[in-house]
Amino acid sequence: MIGTKPDKKTRKFQELDFFNQSETNYYFLLPFRFHRLNQEKEILVNEVGDFLVVPNGTAQNVITRRISKQDNPDLFGDLVANFFITEESKIPQLIDVYATRYRTKKSFLDSFTTLHLFVVSLRCEHTCHYCQVSRVTQDRDKFDMPQKYIDKGIDFMLNSPSPHVTMEFQGGEALLAFDNIVYAVERTKKLADGKGKFVTYVICTNLAVVNEEILHYCKENNILISTSLDGPASVHNENRRRPGRNSYELAIAGIELSRKILGQDKVSALMTTTNLSLDYPKEIVDEYYKLGFRHIFLRPISPYGFAVKNEAKNKYDTDKFLEFYKKALNHILEYNYRGDFYSEDFATILLRKILTPFPVGYVDLNSPSGAITNAIVFNYDGHIYASDESRMLAEMKDFQFQLGHFDTHTYEQIFYGNKAKQISEVMTNESLTGCSECAFQSFCGSDPIHNHATQGNMWGYRPTSTFCQKNMEIIRYLIDLMDSDFRIKQIFESWIKPRN
Amino acid sequence: MVHKNYIKGNEIVVFADTSLFSKDSIFKCLYWYGDKFHTNVSFADINTYQILISPQSDTKIKLDELELYLQKLERDLIDFNLRDIVTKETQNVRDLLIAKAFSNGEFDEKPIGDVSDPVGFYVNDVNNDRN
Repeated sequence: MIGTKPDKKTRKFQELDFFNQSETNYYFLLPFRFHRLNQEKEILVNEVGDFLVVPNGTAQNVITRRISKQDNPDLFGDLVANFFITEESKIPQLIDVYATRYRTKKSFLDSFTTLHLFVVSLRCEHTCHYCQVSRVTQDRDKFDMPQKYIDKGIDFMLNSPSPHVTMEFQGGEALLAFDNIVYAVERTKKLADGKGKFVTYVICTNLAVVNEEILHYCKENNILISTSLDGPASVHNENRRRPGRNSYELAIAGIELSRKILGQDKVSALMTTTNLSLDYPKEIVDEYYKLGFRHIFLRPISPYGFAVKNEAKNKYDTDKFLEFYKKALNHILEYNYRGDFYSEDFATILLRKILTPFPVGYVDLNSPSGAITNAIVFNYDGHIYASDESRMLAEMKDFQFQLGHFDTHTYEQIFYGNKAKQISEVMTNESLTGCSECAFQSFCGSDPIHNHATQGNMWGYRPTSTFCQKNMEIIRYLIDLMDSDFRIKQIFESWIKPRN
Repeated sequence: MVHKNYIKGNEIVVFADTSLFSKDSIFKCLYWYGDKFHTNVSFADINTYQILISPQSDTKIKLDELELYLQKLERDLIDFNLRDIVTKETQNVRDLLIAKAFSNGEFDEKPIGDVSDPVGFYVNDVNNDRN
């Protein structure tokens, strides 16, 4: 039997003549920004991140009305079709479509906070020179999160408007307080269904103390493992000190065991770039590949807090990091040229923002900023912070981003309180000096915590901002690579496609 | 009076016609020079801004690099003036766009065109044919 097709009402596309009625050459500008990519080309970007790479001087010609339908038909058509100019009136006929696209770009706000970090213990058996934790291994009562705060954190998390929340266990070394993790997961499981929440569980661990019993529990509860791997043994063990200098060996054994019990795709790794790492971009990329990872996140060290207390090892110029990043990225591309899939995570996040109409829920590259609106940190002692970096600052006695405490503040006081409001004033790069007319605004974000920590105030000063310098150059570089080599554009497009 | 841009000692001096360049664009441009240069804006005469930048003592700018910075400043002034034109001409559209984006549909207008089925036949015509 042939079923009846459902009555799906749509609207026909209008013919070209419908839109092409203007007989004059006059056009109205729509909001857009531009930036020189190199000596020959510049980029024009509209309000939703659609872009055109064009010869230098094009922006000037567009703005001073020196282009026309007759003389520049292709460019003119691209400008109209991509909401850079409009012919008929100051307001484009399709403004509602455009507004829907803008709303889509900001739809990460709809769900509000999704990532909830529980610092279940501050204890750790490592002594990494860039880490902010206190390296305490003995006093469980003092440095483990009491169950009453775990309960409160779960209640806060399940109060989030988001139907899908992530519960991430951090340390110290989270597995030293595995009993806390079990308690938290079991309590959440009991409550989540009633609240209509789907919860993703993640344990951040160096894997030094992992064992089969822990991993079987993770398997039963679909818990993901996120570990740290800074590169080959010579780099990793130097960065991540522990008695026996065997952090690398333990991490590798832990990754293998985790994959065996949980499955290959349940285990991910993060690297941190120290001064030492800067000399080994290719070796680090090769190490990840050798271990079966097909993506790597080339993360610079947070240039503040505990990390820069050890200045010789951890403080470096952004220029040096950018040089390291480009070398590593190009090495990753070489794997792709040979037919292997291998991606870089920071580039992938940016490419999703550049090449798709959708937002990316990455805390550090959102506007409004992802601190509070995307992520929140529940510290072991009951204090609540706007982000993991805020906790880092608090360990250095800077409590600017401490939002409150479980004992004294309600959910509303934390998420909508005065402190949150004060931070929210500087959360949008659309309204920040230097960012407001930046062509890369829609690809970038706002980071008041970074500004405060590195420049002394939440507004920041873009000309000396390492956040700005790093993001602008990487965005420019990615676009330049795509424009100069179609092969790279195809590779980058493969990175942002959903993969099973 | 025509003013010509120049370098004298370690100072770069650039002039901008007040009828062509907005004050906003000049300040937005100079904002990006504040990390390496002392900046100063004044009137050379009633129709001309005088823009002066000189390297801060802790920067490593050599005197022979000043020519490049002069060229960069001249180019940036034009770029920021163009950006300012776009910003001011499109402010209302941007406000409307964002208001519509974050509204609950109360500002939406009925889309142009007729409702059709997905392959483009006019629904009413199809219904009439059936009758």
